[in-house]
Amino acid sequence: MSERKTHDVLSMEWIKLELIRTAYATRGGLFAKMDPRVVLLWYLLLGGAPWFTHNITVLAILFGLGVISVIAARVGPLVLGLFVLSLVVEVINVFVVAWFVGGDVGTLLALSELSLKLGAVSLASMAAFVSLDPEKLSSALLALKAPVMLAFSVSYGFRILPILIDEFSIVMEGYQLRGAPAKAPGFLGWRSVSRWGKHAVLAFYPIFLNVATSVRTTVEALETRGLNHSVTHPEGRRLRLSHLQTGTLDWIVVAVTFVGIVFAFWVGAVAPIHR
Amino acid sequence: MSTPIIEVRDLSFCYPGADTDTLRNVNLTIERGDFVAVVGGNGSGKTTLCKTFNGLVPHYWQGEFAGSVHVDGIDTWNSSVSELSTRVGYVYQDFQNQLVRPTVRDEVAFAPLNFGLADYDDRTSDALDALGIEALAERFIWQLSGGQAHLTALASVLAMRPSVVIVDEPVAELDPARAHEVYRRLTELNAHGITVIAIEHHAEFIAEYARSVVLMSEGTPVWHLPVEDAVNRTEELEGHGIPAPEVIVACRALGAKKAPRSVQAAADFIRENTREDAWKQSIRVPATQRDTSEVVLSAREVNHSRKGVGGKAQPILRGLNVDLYQGDRVALVGGNGAGKTTLLRILAGLDVPRSGTIEVAGVNTRSRSAARMANLVSYLYQTPSKMFLRDSIEADIRLFPAGRKADDVDELVEKVLTRVRLNEFADRDGRTLSGGQQRRAALAIGLAMRPSVLLLDEPTSSLDIASRDDVTDLLNELSDSIACSVVATHDMHLVSDWASRVLVLADGHITADLTPADLFADTELLARTNLVPPQIVRLGSALGLDPPPLNVADLVKAVRTSAVVEA
Repeated sequence: MSERKTHDVLSMEWIKLELIRTAYATRGGLFAKMDPRVVLLWYLLLGGAPWFTHNITVLAILFGLGVISVIAARVGPLVLGLFVLSLVVEVINVFVVAWFVGGDVGTLLALSELSLKLGAVSLASMAAFVSLDPEKLSSALLALKAPVMLAFSVSYGFRILPILIDEFSIVMEGYQLRGAPAKAPGFLGWRSVSRWGKHAVLAFYPIFLNVATSVRTTVEALETRGLNHSVTHPEGRRLRLSHLQTGTLDWIVVAVTFVGIVFAFWVGAVAPIHR
Repeated sequence: MSTPIIEVRDLSFCYPGADTDTLRNVNLTIERGDFVAVVGGNGSGKTTLCKTFNGLVPHYWQGEFAGSVHVDGIDTWNSSVSELSTRVGYVYQDFQNQLVRPTVRDEVAFAPLNFGLADYDDRTSDALDALGIEALAERFIWQLSGGQAHLTALASVLAMRPSVVIVDEPVAELDPARAHEVYRRLTELNAHGITVIAIEHHAEFIAEYARSVVLMSEGTPVWHLPVEDAVNRTEELEGHGIPAPEVIVACRALGAKKAPRSVQAAADFIRENTREDAWKQSIRVPATQRDTSEVVLSAREVNHSRKGVGGKAQPILRGLNVDLYQGDRVALVGGNGAGKTTLLRILAGLDVPRSGTIEVAGVNTRSRSAARMANLVSYLYQTPSKMFLRDSIEADIRLFPAGRKADDVDELVEKVLTRVRLNEFADRDGRTLSGGQQRRAALAIGLAMRPSVLLLDEPTSSLDIASRDDVTDLLNELSDSIACSVVATHDMHLVSDWASRVLVLADGHITADLTPADLFADTELLARTNLVPPQIVRLGSALGLDPPPLNVADLVKAVRTSAVVEA
């Protein structure tokens, strides 16, 4: 058996830190500097455009724009890794499916068009939501007249995420230490996988109860601190939004993106692939 | 004299679905600017009473409510939680759960923003300023230590500029140095005219900081007295689960009529009433010969670091070396963030250090999985509920031996349950037990793993004094079945009552390895590591006893042997 070492990546702790970094945009980046409302508008542009075409040329350019945005937004390795993984799996799927249905190049193109489209949208989503920390997202939602409770839930959801991950890793550790010891891993480690899966399901019970007891205090505290008051009184909303301000950078980014999209459709019209 | 800030008349309250009233016929007046300690055993209605002050009872908890509560002239029945919350701030015992925003500044500004107060920025700065935590303003909540988190929760209620602040058992989750810090801040607020109400078990904090004391029993106040009178009723308080502070017990034993409220007052009393030279003579505790023949656990050149949100590795352990011997009862002490938990996890083989080796009974932790190391060492988390995986404590205790197909599982479970005196609760979910019972259940889970080394993380934190003594007794009984136990703790009473050896962890390594008596004699070391010795030890030091006595009997003996008490 090989010696145990400390791992900095792909551990529970790493996933937690990555989520915090991703959620609170501690890496900085272009969109993190922008007004959250404009980021949402930008997202509507780049995330919406791919839905209006089947032209692979256009989609490829939009995908390229997405890649540039993701780089500008400094998306972290966890989210990016998951994306690349899903993209690779998707591509393999496309080939397997095309081969099974006995399709030709046309089928392949039709299927890759969908992958490309989803990829472009995902890239835009990653860039936008990695840059919008929950507070900004919540402000943007408030500005768009979303209910106070929804806006608060978004930000509280992120607050409780690290707590849930901690709970989960502790409970899993407990099962790993105290549960029946692992036997030989089996073919492709199926026994380890099924053991992990079983524990993950069993973990639900203690996590649920532990979190429920702590949330009771949270709910009471929210009541004393006027969250319900702010639902019926609009002054709070106004104060929260008063610091939102759009600047030149915001509009330059939107303008450049808009030009990029127009350019994509123009090239698509000149040199179309698959319609 | 101005009108009282809180006036309770003929109040009774029954939670929905409960059989008996939680509060019964309460009559209570709290004057403006008072510093009130509310004391009483578990289930005496302290917390419920305090929740009537900010309207959570009866507006959030809608039970049967009779009588009246007036806060600052407002009848709470006709008011609302929101309106009352602008006058009454509440800091919960589990204050971590009341923090709902990502950063300290957001957290403090949260309530003023909700209430639409245009000067929320000033309020936030003022509140941070009042508690001296401006430097933390931009920190994320999860980066805070326990003490900082408590001050943040306090600041967040101060931002509403309340006339009353209620604090529910601040000592429970904080180490003594931080708890004193919180109380000092509360005293400052009180000096600025804010009425402070503290729910508190620890008589020494009550005696030192409060101005008046309300004793609750079975849902009704027994009395409300100025603190000088209250602390003199030691027997009555003891009957309600609040043992008198050690200095009071000691001075009583030496014939004092009036109880001193602080260590200094007690020292002055003893000085005035005994012959000057007498107590200079101390009783020397014979150094116990330690058996160092059998090493159970050894750590060599251990280095470890952890990555933070910023991505930088923070060194935690640096070149740590230690040997633990058969029969050792080790207390691992050190300030918050010194790395006590990290060290315990590494000793238990849950984590492996970046460099260096740990050997438990000759087995290198790198060579075996954490699950297999669990046969030799068991580690008990600070929060017992984290160890409750199943729906009954019996099932939890059974989990380990049954999973490893031990042939005496039933017998073992029965034996362990008896040992921790939880047989009658065997089929209850651990989470539904009281704090002390939860600790004992967690201990039972650890015992059923039959380890040779037992590692415990803060086994007595957030326990009332009776349950704490219970756990200490239980630890004392374990020496026959465990080769060596290590307890990471801030509880200096546990150190003086139980430990045979103290390891001080600071700057990433063991900076001192000594006996409890030597630790308490080393004031410089104590200050550096943020430790506050038990009252009786501080009294001994104040009298110049070297080494200071570790318990009341020793102090009384030291003072009395050659002194005539004249008071």
